[in-house]
Amino acid sequence: MNRRVLAIRTSAVVAISAVALTSCSEAGGGSDSDGGYRVAVLAASSQNGYNQAVYQGVEEAVAETGADVDLQLLDGQFDANTQLSQLQNTTTSGDYDGVIVVPNDGPGLAAAFPLAQEIPVVTVLNPIGPDIEEMEPQVEGVVSTVAVPPSEAAAKQAEGVAEYCADKDPCKAVLLVGQLNAPLDVARRDAYQGVLEQHDNVEIVATVEGNYDRDQSLTAITNVLQANRDIDAILSNADQQTSGAQVALQNAGIEPSSIYLTGGGGTKDAVTAVREGTWKADYINFPVSMGKAAFEQLHNALTGEDVESWVDADAVGDVEPYATKETLDEAPDFGGEWNG
Amino acid sequence: MTTDLASADAMPAHTTPAATRALFFVRDYAVLILLVILLVVLAMASPSFFTFANLMNIANQNVPLAMIAAAGTFVIVSGNFDLSTGAMFAVGSVSAAAIADGTGNPWLGLLAAPVICVALGLVNGVAVTTLRVHSFLATLATSLVFSAIAVMVTGGSLITVTVDGFTDLGRLRVGGVFIAVIVLATFVAVLWFTLQRTLFGRHVFAVGGNADAAELSGIRVAKVRICVFMLSGLAAGLAAAIAVSRISSGQPQAGLGMELEAIAAIILGGTSIYGGVGAVWRSISGVYLIALIGNGFDIMSVNPQLKDLVTGVIILAAVALAAVGNRRR
Repeated sequence: MNRRVLAIRTSAVVAISAVALTSCSEAGGGSDSDGGYRVAVLAASSQNGYNQAVYQGVEEAVAETGADVDLQLLDGQFDANTQLSQLQNTTTSGDYDGVIVVPNDGPGLAAAFPLAQEIPVVTVLNPIGPDIEEMEPQVEGVVSTVAVPPSEAAAKQAEGVAEYCADKDPCKAVLLVGQLNAPLDVARRDAYQGVLEQHDNVEIVATVEGNYDRDQSLTAITNVLQANRDIDAILSNADQQTSGAQVALQNAGIEPSSIYLTGGGGTKDAVTAVREGTWKADYINFPVSMGKAAFEQLHNALTGEDVESWVDADAVGDVEPYATKETLDEAPDFGGEWNG
Repeated sequence: MTTDLASADAMPAHTTPAATRALFFVRDYAVLILLVILLVVLAMASPSFFTFANLMNIANQNVPLAMIAAAGTFVIVSGNFDLSTGAMFAVGSVSAAAIADGTGNPWLGLLAAPVICVALGLVNGVAVTTLRVHSFLATLATSLVFSAIAVMVTGGSLITVTVDGFTDLGRLRVGGVFIAVIVLATFVAVLWFTLQRTLFGRHVFAVGGNADAAELSGIRVAKVRICVFMLSGLAAGLAAAIAVSRISSGQPQAGLGMELEAIAAIILGGTSIYGGVGAVWRSISGVYLIALIGNGFDIMSVNPQLKDLVTGVIILAAVALAAVGNRRR
């Protein structure tokens, strides 16, 4: 084959491909050809139990509403930049009618706004915008936030510790916080300290990072117990961390139920631990119900119905979110909405 | 052929023998010097530090990383990288948990982790040698595959194991010493002997020093490379078995970033990143140097936000100590 023929053939293939791609992009915009909706669900990580539960809730809500919806799950890989690109791509391509997002980095994701196309966005777990405590939409394009202000939830967790400590002086508490380079967790740590420092009998003997990991939490609490074996409470923002702390206590010969051990998330294991009395309390999340609520609000926006700009995530579940053995006894069928 | 650092250089003529020996000592044992300094500082700073219980905890907590770093020394000395150890660790963790949970047999699950990971190591070795792809790229690719396998085994969720006896390996002690620490000590001793005292060990150094020369000398370079990757897999599997037994649950995110922690510890210890030079004890020292910093922060209740800063400064100090020795030669 001579070079001229090769060049002509190559040019023809490139031209045909370009035309085909252009026509694909023109045909794809927005609603399905049969009148349904295309919705992108941007998970912080599609391999994470919490995010999978949110997606399950979205799927269940789609089935319950009977709407003709084509869902597309995108994996944010726990990376803020990846998710920012995904949000920009989904809103630029014209292929989607709406977006549900579980942000990796709410303030960072605000960079995608204003969106290239006016499609509704519902955010779950964290708000999108500079203020992580503000639940009302902070950027144009976000129509609803299904979440709870992190400091408010953390303060309520800490109040449980203060209540337990009421008759102990001193009452030694350890704060086991996710990642102290993340604004969300720093806000939680500050809220914990803010509440506990109001009680003179409560002494925070250590603040350590658990990194949402059992093994790292096991290590951190094991180390803390070397210097402070007589602790009375471990206040953690994540159940995975509390599970690690529980093992550390057991390894040190301390019965976990003998102290105030609490976590956050509401995993199935955590609910079982609270029911059995191993943990004193747990702050329960309802990711499946949150996913349902998110789709309901998005569907309302798409169909022109009223949209709740803030859905209180603590109110979407079937049980009291600040759970103790007593509150869970009132809901014997509840086993937690996720595990991770 | 070079092995450990001390044998690599002749004595310089322009300095006194005592000064030269001191410089060589600082260069060769920078990581140990830092380790001792840190031990002394922490012992003086906190009465809780220099206790048997705390030292045993430090040893036990870092068993998985130390195992991976010990075997990783072979990989790096042979002139290769294994970026898939974290992913193999994840596969080992979820496999052990799934098998133990499914069969009700804790030891079958725990044994499965090293067996499966040796097979994954074989895949790495074959990929590197037959495809003739640089190990950095080959193991980066296999790490993605292995991570995906770990996710597929669990569906992304956690596998909690409640089978009796499953936590024995990770939590039980014999005479106050964790079984995991005994396993590590045995593993390290075997690896040290293998690298420093056997024909295979000399072949590993030869391949890392100059693969072409090793080939011409009759050493089966491909076989050596496959073996070091299988060894790396074995270590990742053993580490996974111990870790999953300790927390009685397997999760696909386990081991995330562990490969880089292990490589950092190996290089911090003084093993050459270019291959041909290194020792197992160096990597173990690197692991525990970093571990001491974390332990010190926790028991002294120092703001954990400063931990990375201090860790970075101490690593720089170790590297600087070794560099000063090198420049003054």
